[in-house]
Amino acid sequence: MTQPELRTRPPPTGPAATTRGRRRPANHRRRGVPRGLWIALLLAPALLVVGVFFLTGITQAVAQSLGYQPFLPGWRLSLDAYQGMFTDPAVRASLLLTARIAIIPTVLSAVLGVSAALLIRRLGRSRNWVSGIFQANLAVPHLVGALCMLLLLSQGGLLSRVSHAAGFTDTPAAFPALTGDEFGWAIIAAYVWKETPFLTVIALAALGRGVDDLENAARSLGARPWQRLVHVTLPVITPAVAGGAVLVFAFTAGSYEVPYLLGRPFPATLPVVALQHYNATDLTARPEAMAVAVVITVLSGLMVAAYLFIAGRLARRSL
Amino acid sequence: MRPPRFAHARPARIAALAAALALTVAACTSAGTVTSLTTSGAAAMTSAESDWDAVLAQANGQTVNWYMYGGDDTLNAFVAGYVADQLGKVGVTLNQVKITDTVDAVNKVLGEVQAGRTTDGSVDAIWVNGENFATGVQANLWSCGWDKTLPNSQFVDFTDPAVANDFGIPVKGCEAVWQQADSALVYDSAKLDTADVASMSTLFDWARANPGQFTYPAPPDFTGSMAVRTILYDTIGGPTTLSGPFDETNYTNATAKLWPRLKDIAGSLWRGGQTYPQSQSAVEKLYSDGEINAFFTYGPGAVGDQVDKGLYPASTRQAVLAGGNIGNRSFVAIPANAAHQAAATVLANVLQDPQTQLELLTVKGVYPGIDVTKTSPDVQAQFAAVPVHPSVLPLTALTENAQPELAAEYLTRIEQDWTTNVLQQQ
Repeated sequence: MTQPELRTRPPPTGPAATTRGRRRPANHRRRGVPRGLWIALLLAPALLVVGVFFLTGITQAVAQSLGYQPFLPGWRLSLDAYQGMFTDPAVRASLLLTARIAIIPTVLSAVLGVSAALLIRRLGRSRNWVSGIFQANLAVPHLVGALCMLLLLSQGGLLSRVSHAAGFTDTPAAFPALTGDEFGWAIIAAYVWKETPFLTVIALAALGRGVDDLENAARSLGARPWQRLVHVTLPVITPAVAGGAVLVFAFTAGSYEVPYLLGRPFPATLPVVALQHYNATDLTARPEAMAVAVVITVLSGLMVAAYLFIAGRLARRSL
Repeated sequence: MRPPRFAHARPARIAALAAALALTVAACTSAGTVTSLTTSGAAAMTSAESDWDAVLAQANGQTVNWYMYGGDDTLNAFVAGYVADQLGKVGVTLNQVKITDTVDAVNKVLGEVQAGRTTDGSVDAIWVNGENFATGVQANLWSCGWDKTLPNSQFVDFTDPAVANDFGIPVKGCEAVWQQADSALVYDSAKLDTADVASMSTLFDWARANPGQFTYPAPPDFTGSMAVRTILYDTIGGPTTLSGPFDETNYTNATAKLWPRLKDIAGSLWRGGQTYPQSQSAVEKLYSDGEINAFFTYGPGAVGDQVDKGLYPASTRQAVLAGGNIGNRSFVAIPANAAHQAAATVLANVLQDPQTQLELLTVKGVYPGIDVTKTSPDVQAQFAAVPVHPSVLPLTALTENAQPELAAEYLTRIEQDWTTNVLQQQ
């Protein structure tokens, strides 16, 4: 499907990064090669990979969603898959769930991540040690995180056993259903656990030395701690954190392994629905799988566009 | 040899395909191998032997990429150990590619064929049956006509309908039988007694009295789909009215009482039937965690192993309900675009070897896909001497009332309608 490029996260870009870039001396440019061409050359390998794998993948998905299945006798191009999608109860039921699974972890991990970064910044010698723990989490695959949540939160899991040993619950079924539940608690927990450190690292990177100077300046002008936080610190890190949050949203809305492992077969998130159709043994279900994948791609694209729009406005305001 | 697979292929692709076919035919005729073998199963013994020698010669030095369900540690160890050793003796290296669902391998082949890779494909062999085999037939993915060329196919009973047909689809030499699977109900005898597991009705009565302790994986999961069909057979008194190819009227009549019955019992299932586990491994985990106390399985022989490992309680037992149990065969198929067809053929032959089948029964409790009565008396005695775990039913009990599978099209419809009528109704 079209997920892998979302999983490999590019380093945080946006105003924070470009501010640092602008300070670099101008002799960074190669003599004789125009700056624009030089940048294009440097980007070419990455763009080539993105172009070949991403664009061919998307083209294939769009073509198949329109019914392009030359391996099946009697195939024809049509919009049937898209029409079928809007009447499919699995798709209709998944919209609310997908929105919930994407929005709640994004907001929670942004709030927790920024808070953690602000606290870690205040730490003395143990700062590197603590931020190291946060970074270690980044290396854990989502799949492993989801399995850990299953072992921890399911009705036969560790918490349930502890609760049984402590005499709170008699049977596994007496423990609240946190996995395979209607709300998606375990999915949200898995994403918050995984994405909070990601946004913490981004916020820590944005809280560079320049922020200290700005805060000191605000302090000398008589700003109280709360005022410094709201008017100086948060505006400086917002563009970078917002960029990270968009990635988190696009990822949580578009990935399937965590909701597949921890969620229900129905209602399931959009990516799980796409996978269910994709894995259907009847190949005529393939166009609808691709139609759902195309819709996910378009939604993710819209999110990035919205971010670029907002980030542009934020950057202008901070100048 | 093979018809071109693409009615809409570009001229360049057709030219490439034609060239590849020409090369294959040339190679085959010069070596006197595959082509002559595929034409007839009644080839003279000497020529069959020399043909097989040619396959062995071609396979020597090849690596066979075998895509198979990899969720079973004991089976994985058997494949990586015994099977790989046997292949190594004839110079074939085994690369076992573990997948979570057979459909992944079929999709890989389909993707390659779609991209124009009609030769030199990366999947050489797939452990397959039923709907996934049907998918490959639908898209014309399989290499066919080689099953009777295997020397060990002398032990296969091709007249057995369960071998000649795979879920209602004629095999036509497009896959070679490997395993026999008979379903059974697994239950904890400390929680259910034999009267509870006498029939589907008594099981459901027990479930109503003990809510939340029985469930099945959501179809289209392979085992979940089987569980629903077992309930269907019980509801309509056996599969006879649904034998043969798909028939809409028969289907509607047969399932009319099934959906109300499933909805009726749903409230007494795990989580009140509000949801169902996503997979059979999730169901098995529920059983080992003590959340449920009974489940259907398509691999009864593996249960003893789970008991010995301490994952299942020692009081675990098996039962065949009054209406009988569904049985099937699983096969090894070779994609038509496989890069190492000869090595894959050798793999299929090793898997049909009576010694391999005996070993598999011994270590894993997997029942033979071959007809044991066709082997020598000595080998038959060895099969009979394999001890049966106290938690596992003997093969005779599992096969005496075995019921055939339905046509693959019925399965697909049942799975779709289960989703609409049961899962999405909660």
